Amino acid sequence: MLTIVFFALSGLDVLDALDVVDKPSLIEWIYSLQVLPTDDKSNLSRCGFRGSSHIGVPYNSSKGPGAPHTYDSGHVAMTYTGLACLVILGDDLSRVCREACLAGLRALQLEDGSFYAVPEGSENDMRFVYCAACICFMLDDWSGMDRQRAIDYIRRSTSYDSGIGQGAGLESHGGSTFCAVASLCMMGNLQEVFSERELKRIRRWCILRQQNGFHGRPNKPVDTCYSFWVGATLELLDVFQYTNFEKNRSYILSTQDRLVGGFAKWPDSHPDPLHTYFGICGLSLMGEAELQKVHPALNISVRAFESLRRLHEAWRQKST
Amino acid sequence: MTEPFNVHCLLMCLFFYFRDRKEWADLEPVPQDDGPNPVVKIAYSEKFTDVFDMFRALLKNDEKSERAFALTAEAIELNAANYTVWHYRRVLLQALDKDLREEMKYITAIIEDQPKNYQVWHHRRMVVEWLKDPSEELQFVSETLSQDAKNYHAWQHRQWVIQEYKLWDGELEYVEELLEEDVRNNSAWNQRHFVISHTSGYSDPAILDREVQYTLKQIKKAPHNESAWNYLKGILQDGGLSSYPGLLEQVTELQDTCSSPYLTAFLVDLYEDALETNNSSYDQQETLNKALELCKLLAEEKDTIRKEYWNYVSRSLIFWSVLPNSAQTVTVHGFLYVQK
Repeated sequence: MLTIVFFALSGLDVLDALDVVDKPSLIEWIYSLQVLPTDDKSNLSRCGFRGSSHIGVPYNSSKGPGAPHTYDSGHVAMTYTGLACLVILGDDLSRVCREACLAGLRALQLEDGSFYAVPEGSENDMRFVYCAACICFMLDDWSGMDRQRAIDYIRRSTSYDSGIGQGAGLESHGGSTFCAVASLCMMGNLQEVFSERELKRIRRWCILRQQNGFHGRPNKPVDTCYSFWVGATLELLDVFQYTNFEKNRSYILSTQDRLVGGFAKWPDSHPDPLHTYFGICGLSLMGEAELQKVHPALNISVRAFESLRRLHEAWRQKST
Repeated sequence: MTEPFNVHCLLMCLFFYFRDRKEWADLEPVPQDDGPNPVVKIAYSEKFTDVFDMFRALLKNDEKSERAFALTAEAIELNAANYTVWHYRRVLLQALDKDLREEMKYITAIIEDQPKNYQVWHHRRMVVEWLKDPSEELQFVSETLSQDAKNYHAWQHRQWVIQEYKLWDGELEYVEELLEEDVRNNSAWNQRHFVISHTSGYSDPAILDREVQYTLKQIKKAPHNESAWNYLKGILQDGGLSSYPGLLEQVTELQDTCSSPYLTAFLVDLYEDALETNNSSYDQQETLNKALELCKLLAEEKDTIRKEYWNYVSRSLIFWSVLPNSAQTVTVHGFLYVQK
């Protein structure tokens, strides 16, 4: 599953340990998950990346057109993590069918500005707004979405307590707050969408999430992954420096599994790729020694982010 | 005498693989193809591979049959997060004109077992929409919430049902029940705001004051409750905290018995509002000093984990107070700042 590969790969990148992986093979495998346009281009609105080969489409590492299959379509989170993995691995995205991915993305946006995960329909919420924003950002092409509608969705999802929920009326939550703020940062619109007073209130909501580590909602238990979701949001809002690093770090490390390695959401719990990755990123935000810095909006190492930036330079030069 | 564990083992050994079943003999199983260098090599069980090899075969032919429908249940049991299986099951539900009431029973059982799975709640929503029948939903969600009163999926489903089918009646009462059980349930406070903002709204002063009094009452019961303070601030801040009649007095009164970092922060925000709006009922100088004093109290005593943040808030208050919009001279820590 591509999302799990992302946690592992990006985690290794932040640990500066990418040399343990066979990059070329991984790149081939990731490209084999691209839902390619068919010869007659009838499936463009279903393009993107799949999470795995589970529906049985024959292996094709993005060399040549796609094989038509009624049930084959991309998933917005897989397109996002697929592209991110390629960037982390130093690939130049030359086998990505950008126009097809963007068409697939446009097909997923609803009238209210949020996104489905798949063209067949699914739930829609802030997670997929974030995935869409990452895709547009990485492909350096915002034609993949109606930005104003997405912005409206974000504004409507802001709660009375100034945190941001998964959608209008829903409880404010550290994960959706990250998704919203990070999306706006990638769009370059944070200060236009929220007034200084509103930003102040969002900062307050976020900074109150620190208990020792961070939780995702008032009166809920802390969980390692929120050290990233909320920590990164605070960093994007320029106030992460005012959090208590010692308590945050202590908490994250207390959730480490000393036998198997990795991090869990709580101490003495089973570690998993997600919490391990976000535990590492949470530490990275505080400048933990021997960890690479993480880009707080795009959620990849700054090093990978820089190589993406160079790629964008090259694309822009080519088009002029 | 039954011994369930042994029976279970026996059944696993006796699982009749689809590839060996007579009624499936016409279908060639389709294996997963990850090419020459598979990255994620999951050690699927034999049963898992068997079921999904057959699933892939059905998908390839887009088969619409009872046996396909039966297989989706097997696939879901093995992995309820596979959204393609759920989609295919929905296609079959329609193509075979299956009994949607039966499907409701089915999805009810699955959600009871896996209440934090996205796909199962989405499936339930689809079936409710097809049936155009939300009559079981509030009861069902209440039952889920009685197991976990903060399950985000459950609340999301509940809000969708209420808004879509206009089932607002009785929801405020339900919220109050939940707050009786746990006044710190942030989801319930959120739901309170959801219900009121979509029904009466907060513009009627009688309603607003009812909510203020209700919230203050809950605060007196449990002073250290961020949810209640967030609600109080949330419903009042658009009108201006410093303008709400009697609010400063009511909150200040609570300081001795119901002290908390939230109360202190609330006062900081109230004073900040007085400064920002240049509220004539407040002496600007004194108000700034009080706000700074409270920030210092928070940093040094009441909310030390956020010490640096409260120092930052102090600096911001000072900074913004010397800007041109306030036509005053402001003294801060003995230094005189003169407005141009």
